[in-house]
Amino acid sequence: MAIELKAYPDLCHGCGNCVVACPVNALRSSEIAGGKGPTDEVEVIMVVEDGAINIKNSDLCGKCGTCVESCPVDAIRLEESE
Amino acid sequence: MISTHGDPMPKHIVSGLKYLAAVNLTKQGHTQKEVAKRLGINRSTVSHYLNGRNLSMRSIEIAKVITELCPRDFLLLTYALIQDIDKTKTIVKSCQKRKFKASVKNSCIGCGICIDSCLMKAIKLDELKAKIDSKWCCGCLICVEMCPTNSIEIEEVEY
Amino acid sequence: METTEVIEEGGNITVERAGEETRKLLFNNGLCAACGLCEEICPVEAIETNPTGAMIRTEQETSKITIDEGKCVLCGMCSSICPFQALDLQIDGTSIKEIPGYPQLIKSAEIDENECINCKACETACPQDAITITRELPKRKDLVTGEIEIDKDTCIYCGICEEMCPADAIEITHEEPTSINPVIASDINVDEDKCVHCGICKRVCPVDAIMQVCRICPYGEYEIELEPEITGTSYIDPELCVNCGWCQEICPVDAAKVTKPFEGELILDEEKCQGCETCVMVCPCNVLSFPKPEKVGDKPEKLHKDETFCIYCGACERSCPVDAITVKRKSINYTPTKSKAWQNAFESLTK
Repeated sequence: MAIELKAYPDLCHGCGNCVVACPVNALRSSEIAGGKGPTDEVEVIMVVEDGAINIKNSDLCGKCGTCVESCPVDAIRLEESE
Repeated sequence: MISTHGDPMPKHIVSGLKYLAAVNLTKQGHTQKEVAKRLGINRSTVSHYLNGRNLSMRSIEIAKVITELCPRDFLLLTYALIQDIDKTKTIVKSCQKRKFKASVKNSCIGCGICIDSCLMKAIKLDELKAKIDSKWCCGCLICVEMCPTNSIEIEEVEY
Repeated sequence: METTEVIEEGGNITVERAGEETRKLLFNNGLCAACGLCEEICPVEAIETNPTGAMIRTEQETSKITIDEGKCVLCGMCSSICPFQALDLQIDGTSIKEIPGYPQLIKSAEIDENECINCKACETACPQDAITITRELPKRKDLVTGEIEIDKDTCIYCGICEEMCPADAIEITHEEPTSINPVIASDINVDEDKCVHCGICKRVCPVDAIMQVCRICPYGEYEIELEPEITGTSYIDPELCVNCGWCQEICPVDAAKVTKPFEGELILDEEKCQGCETCVMVCPCNVLSFPKPEKVGDKPEKLHKDETFCIYCGACERSCPVDAITVKRKSINYTPTKSKAWQNAFESLTK
């Protein structure tokens, strides 16, 4: 029962706050550090695709909770996975 | 007391073990009264044992086999039969021919698991380290297996 | 002889083994900072600490640590190392903190009652709300002296003195005028417990209805206690205190003294840091903060630290998702123990 990053795309508004707030994303992509969604091929933890959040590389996640706090609709969470 | 069918009941095996213990304790210099107290039997029974009476030869044979089992089996079987720690200790100690030397390494963390698992009550904690009284160690190796840090060493000693 | 574990709803855990002694390990989830020291020291790898950032920043129902009862042997090392009092091993009902032979962290936080002036700076600054200061203040009327009287026949109940009184000491009983009782007020009184004899009411009264004189300048030294004593108590809750040293640093009269269990170094990598604030929120000692630029265009350091308050618990390092923090523990102060295994365990936490 470990704590993992989980997305709820049905709740997501696609605002991208989590993508931009994530420090791991910002460290890897200077576009994200500058405050916009990535346009290049840099591997980041999650991106907005087709209007909803999509977790691409959860193994990079340090479980700091910054994205969780930035989400206005509780569409991305750190919770126990069974 | 003596079964006509040839298969002794558990209590007959127990009396076989107590007979062997009584003989060995007497050889070690204990009085009949002391022997009786330690084994939980009447002094007159001790006297009968030593004079070769009130015995079933089958019981004694089986008891002898038990005392020669590997130490863990001897210990666990005796305890299963007698259900009393002090009497088990007495029987195992007096009937076991083998001698052991137990030592505890500095990797011991003082968790006390060995103390809880030792049926011979041979282990105590001193300043966060286990101390084993080799006199009482029967070589069953249960503590060695239970120790979470592999800190116990038991050697059989030639005598 | 079985080891059992009970996890309560608030996240508290009890692990117990009843053998020759009854050993009980008690975990208090509320006090835990998810620093990971217990996990590091455990000789049988029975403890896992959940991700520090997630446990402190987000709502979690689970406990901050998990203890595997199949592995835990209730040795007590975790209890001895925890700087937050979150773990306690009890043997036959007595905590190992009270059993000689078990090493204790050497740490303290004390307020000298003789030096303390009950200013409450420490209570305000304490990051764990561990300090309670009470104080008994003198009565206002014991610190002023004077005379005041309002002539109720001259008074026109204009209410100007009531409005202007800085001590809210004047009260007028206002009335609704009726034809049978055509008055706007029926009474005026001065509460002499509140009055400070400033004289504003006398000076502002349009009909000179107030007689007031302050006696503090001519007669103060005869009539009042010029240096009143402020008494009180100070208490540091030993369960909550983490020995960060805020009280020691902030106390204006050096009445608070703190000794810390760990010494070390805190290293921040400004290049890696993305300013996510996780470490700031996770730190139990308010060591870290984001500085504000003094003027427009200034570029201050990204993340500010003051190691004066640091206890080198490592929670920040553990929580940083980009490995921008390194905590180097140089020494641990603990009471002597004869056990080599315990000495090695403690020393293994230092570099």
